[in-house]
Amino acid sequence: MASRAPELLGLGMVNVTLTQALAFISDCHLSFHQRVVQLSVPMRGHARNALTRFALGSSRCTRCYSTRQALIEQNAKINAFVHISPESTASTSKTGALQGLKVAVKDNIATKDSPTTCSSAILKDFVSPFDATVVKQLRRDGADIVGKTNCDEFGMGSLNVYSVHGPTLNPFPFTSGANNSTAEVEERSAGGSSGGSAAAVAMGLCDAALGTDTGGSIRLPASYCGVVGFKPSYGLVSRWGVVSYADSLDCVGVLGADVPIVSRVFDRISAFDTKDPTSAEPELREAASTHARRRLESLTLDSGRGKLDGLRIGIPQEFFPSELSPAVLDIFRGVLQSLQARGATLVPVSLPSSSYALSAYYVLASAEASSNMARYDGIQYGKRIPTNSLADLRNVASVYAQGRSAGFGPEVQRRILLGTYALTSDAFDNYFLQAQRVRQLVKDDFDAVFSIPNVRNAVEESEEGLEEPASKVDVLLHPSAIGSAPPLSLDSSKSPLDSYVQDLLTVPASLAGVPALSVPCPTMSTLLQREAEQGHDGWPVGVSVIGQWGSDELVLAVGQAVAEGRRTT
Amino acid sequence: MLVRLCLRRRCTPHYSTRLIHSEREVRKDPRWPGYEVVIGIETHAQLKSRQKLFSHALTSGPKDTPNTNVSVFDAAFPGTLPKLNPKCVDLGLRASLALKCEIQKRSSFDRKHYFYSDLPSGFQITQQYAPLATNGSLEVHLPDQPKSVRVRIKQLQLEQDTAKSTFHPRTLTSQIDLNRAGTGLMEIVSEPDLRSPEEAGAYVRTLQAILRAVGASDGNMEEGSLRCDVNVSVNRIGEPFGTRCEIKNLNSVKFMMAAITSEIRRHIDILNSPTPVVAQETRGFDENTFETFKLRSKEDAPDYRYMPDPNLGTLLLSEERIQVIESTMPELPWQIRQRLITSYGLSERNVDTLLKLDSAKDVPLDGDTTAAQGPIQYFDTLCEGKRRDPKVVFNWMAHELLGQLTARKQTFQNNTLSTQQLAELIDLVQEKQLTGTSAKYLLRHILSNPNTKSTREVAEEQQLLSFPPTSPPPTSSTAGVTPEAENEGALDDVVLRAMAAMPKEVEALRAGRMGVMNKIVGWVMRESRGRADAKSVKEQIERLLERR
Repeated sequence: MASRAPELLGLGMVNVTLTQALAFISDCHLSFHQRVVQLSVPMRGHARNALTRFALGSSRCTRCYSTRQALIEQNAKINAFVHISPESTASTSKTGALQGLKVAVKDNIATKDSPTTCSSAILKDFVSPFDATVVKQLRRDGADIVGKTNCDEFGMGSLNVYSVHGPTLNPFPFTSGANNSTAEVEERSAGGSSGGSAAAVAMGLCDAALGTDTGGSIRLPASYCGVVGFKPSYGLVSRWGVVSYADSLDCVGVLGADVPIVSRVFDRISAFDTKDPTSAEPELREAASTHARRRLESLTLDSGRGKLDGLRIGIPQEFFPSELSPAVLDIFRGVLQSLQARGATLVPVSLPSSSYALSAYYVLASAEASSNMARYDGIQYGKRIPTNSLADLRNVASVYAQGRSAGFGPEVQRRILLGTYALTSDAFDNYFLQAQRVRQLVKDDFDAVFSIPNVRNAVEESEEGLEEPASKVDVLLHPSAIGSAPPLSLDSSKSPLDSYVQDLLTVPASLAGVPALSVPCPTMSTLLQREAEQGHDGWPVGVSVIGQWGSDELVLAVGQAVAEGRRTT
Repeated sequence: MLVRLCLRRRCTPHYSTRLIHSEREVRKDPRWPGYEVVIGIETHAQLKSRQKLFSHALTSGPKDTPNTNVSVFDAAFPGTLPKLNPKCVDLGLRASLALKCEIQKRSSFDRKHYFYSDLPSGFQITQQYAPLATNGSLEVHLPDQPKSVRVRIKQLQLEQDTAKSTFHPRTLTSQIDLNRAGTGLMEIVSEPDLRSPEEAGAYVRTLQAILRAVGASDGNMEEGSLRCDVNVSVNRIGEPFGTRCEIKNLNSVKFMMAAITSEIRRHIDILNSPTPVVAQETRGFDENTFETFKLRSKEDAPDYRYMPDPNLGTLLLSEERIQVIESTMPELPWQIRQRLITSYGLSERNVDTLLKLDSAKDVPLDGDTTAAQGPIQYFDTLCEGKRRDPKVVFNWMAHELLGQLTARKQTFQNNTLSTQQLAELIDLVQEKQLTGTSAKYLLRHILSNPNTKSTREVAEEQQLLSFPPTSPPPTSSTAGVTPEAENEGALDDVVLRAMAAMPKEVEALRAGRMGVMNKIVGWVMRESRGRADAKSVKEQIERLLERR
C-alpha cells in the first residue's frame, strides 16, 4: 500500500502517516481532549496582507469608497473577507425581499464577478463562469453581495486555519466592548470552516452570510463567534455552484446576528432547483413543512410572553462526552432552566449510534473528498510543477503528484489520503461500507426520537404516529461545541488530527441530513459570575437545536425562543 | 445506501460459471486441433441520445469542431453537478429488453477513479455495483452452422464516455477534445460463451444490428461509437479453462477477429513451451502487425476505488415506465424477419435483402419512432391493403428503385421517391397503363426531377401512358373521348404510320413471312418511346392486315 499511495492519490508525501490516521478513525469516538491546532503562519502578516490586497482592489470603485473602505479597514483586523466586491453590481435587483441587505458569501460558492478560491492555492486565480443558484437567488432578491469570506481549504477544517489566505481571527475582543484597544488582542479561532462568514457577521461587516456545513462548518464558527448559524435540512438549498467537499453531506446555510435575519435569508434560498439532483422535490418539502406547521400551530409558541407550554425538547445523553468543558455544561444547564421555566418539557433521550458518528463522518467525508478533489490535477487547475528527474517525467502519476502536492494544503492532503485508503478495494468493506451502515443507524436514531415523521422514509408514512409515545420529542438540544473558541497559538506537540474532535457534537445532524441551528447562549452577568468561578472565559458558546428533516421552520422558531431567553430571564 | 456488493471486482475470473457454459459442446477447429478457445466480450456502445448522459450539452458527431459541445459539468468545473438524462435511460432500457435482460428496478451510479488527461473530473460515472440490467441473452447465427449460438449477457450498464485525446508524436503533446466527455455509453458484458473468432465477429455484428434496430446506438465502429474489449483464454480440450487475457479497445470487427486469432496463437505457443504458464494481462492490438502487445500485467492493474456517486442516488424504475418502453419498442430484426415471411410470403433471401437495406438506415436521436421511415416501413406501406403483390413490390423496390439509386450513387436514405409515387407506378404497370420500359424510364425521371406530383401526372406530362390493350376494337369508338380512347387512336396512328413507312415489310408480312413482324413492332416501339405494349402492337398490326 505504502509504495502505491502516491500513485493512487496523485500526491507526494503527506505529513501524517496512514497508520496514525487509521488509528484515529478507529479510536476517535472513545476519548479526546480539546486541543490547540498547529498553525504554520503567524497571524499578523496575513492581516496586513489582507489590508493591502483590498486597498489595491477597491481603489477603482470611487463611488462606494466610504462604506467599502470602512469594511476593508475593519476586515483587516480579522481577515474575514478574502475578496470585497465593488458596491452594487448590475445584476442585482433594485427591488426584492432582501433589498439592501448586505450578504457575504463563503469563498467555496461560485460567483462570476469575483474569484472562488475555496482558500486553496490550487484555485488561486479561479473565477467561475457562472453564479451558484443561491447567489443568483440573492441577487434576484436585491441583496448586496459584499464579498467572499475566508474558510478552511475546500471546507475541510474546524478552525479556519487551513486557508491560503491565512486564518480568520475571532472578532469577539473587538465586539464585546470589554477590551480596551491598547491591550494585546487575544487571538482565538473563529471556527471553521465557515469562519470568515461567522466573523464577518459578528464584526458587523454584513447583515448575513452564506456558509456551507458538511460536518459542523456553520454551527461551530457560529458558536465560537457568538452569532446564529443555521444548517438547513439536506436538499432544501441548492448546491449548484457550491464547490463539493462531500456531496452527500454538504449543505448551504445562513449565518446572521439573530434568528429573524437568518430565517429571512433562508426563506429566499430554500427552493427546488432542477440543476441539483439532490434538491428535495416540491411535494416532499410541502409534506414536511405541513407536519412542522401543524405542530407549530398546536404549540402556539407565544414569542411575546415566552410561553413554551407543550414544547418537548429532547436532551440526547450521548452529546455530553468527557471532552465537553464543564463551563459549557454549566451554561447549557442555564439555558435548560430558562426553557423549563417558560413551560418547555425536557426529555432525556438516547441516540446510541451518535458515539460512532465522528468516525463514520471522517471516513465518508474523506472518501467523497478524495473523489471530489481528483479534478484539481495541476492540468486544468493549479500549477504544472516541473519534475525533478527524467524518471518522474515518464511516470504520469508523479507528474500529477507534483502539482497536487504543491496545490493542496496539509489538511486537504490528509483527507485525500484517508479517503483514498477507505476506497481501496482492500479497505472498502471495512471502512466505507461500515461507515455507511453507521450513517443509517444514526439516521434511524433521529427518526426514533422525533414525534414528526421523516417524510423521506416513504414507506413509513402512515398516520398511525398520532398516538405519540411519551418519549418522542419536537426538537433536540445540545451544546454546539465542546468549548469556546480555541486559541490560535502554536502547539506543535499535538497531532493535527486532534482538531477533528471539534466536530464531535455537530456531525450526527450532518450524517442524518436534519436541520440544525446554533444560537448563542445567554451570557447574563449572574451566570458569568458563576462561570468565572468554574473557569469560564466569557467567550461565546452556542446551543444547537436539531429537528426532523424538513421541519426547519420549527427549528428556527425554537431557536428564536432559546435566544429570547437571554432577554426575558 | 447500504449496497450489498456482489459485483465488486471486475477482475474476478469469469470461470465460476464453468458448469453452466460447459454445456456448450466442444467444437473442433482445424486451425488449432486439441485446443478450445473461450471468448467473452465487453462492448461499449454510444447512446444515440440528443444530449449527454448527465448534462445538456449535445452529443457530438465526428465532424463537430472540437470543444464546442461542452457544458461546465462536462469540463468538471467546481460546483457543477450531474443530472441524469432520462432519454439515455430509455435507450438503455430498449437495449436491455432487446437483449432479454432482467431490468433492475433499482440501479445506481458509481464513480470509477483514475488520473488521466482525458478525464477532467478524475472519475468516470458508471454502474459498478448495481447495473441497469442483468442476465440477458443474444441468439447469434453463423452462416456455416445450422444452429444458432446463444450468448448470455451478464449485464448492461450506463456510463460516461471520456474526452478524446490525440497525441502528436512530433511535438510530444496531446490535444484534448471535450466534445465526447460525458457522452452516454452502454457497456454490454457477455458471458464467456463464444468459441471462435468468427463467433465473436458474428456476436458483435448481431449486437450492432439489434442496437441499431431499437435506436439505442448507431453502433458505428468506424466513428468509434462501438468499441470492444475482448477476453480470450485457451485450454486443451477436456481441461479447465486457461488464463484469460483482455485485449482493449478494438474498433472494427476485422481487427477484433485478427486480435483474437493472434492471441490464440500466442497462448498456444506458450502452452507448448517448456513453461506453459499464461500470465493474466491486459493487451493492446497493433493494427500494422496484426498482433497483440502487452499493456499491463495483473499486478499493475489499477485500483479504481469505486464509490457510490453521492449525487445521483438510486435510479428507481416503475413497472409502468418499463411497460411503456416495451410497448413502444421498434420491431427487432428477428421479429421483422418472421413477419415478412409469414405475412408477405417473401423468401429468406428477399427478407435478408430488405433487412440488410433496413439496417443501413439512420438511427434517429433519442429513439424517436416518428422519424423518417426506413426501407421496411416503406415496403410495408407499399403492401398495405393487400392490393399489391408483395413479390412485385419487392422487385420494384429492391431491384428497380435500389438499382437506380445505386447507379446514381445514392443510398435509400436519399430516396426522394415517395411511397405514393412508387405505389401508383406499380399500379399503373399492373393495370397495363404503363409498360415496364416506360415505368423504368419514369422512375429515373422522377428521381432526377424530385417532385410531389402524382405518378400519373408525370407520366402524362412525359406522354408515357400506354396505348391501351386493343382487344375489342370497333365497339370502343362509341365510348366517348376518354384518355384511353385518345391513346387508342394514337396507337392506331403510330401503327398506320409504321405500315406506311415500311411498305416492303408489310408486303412480306402479307406474303406470310411473319419474321418481319418484329421489325414493324420495333419501329412502333421506338416511335412510341416504349409506351406501346409489344403484344398489343402485334395484334393491332395483324388486325389491320386482315382488315385490308
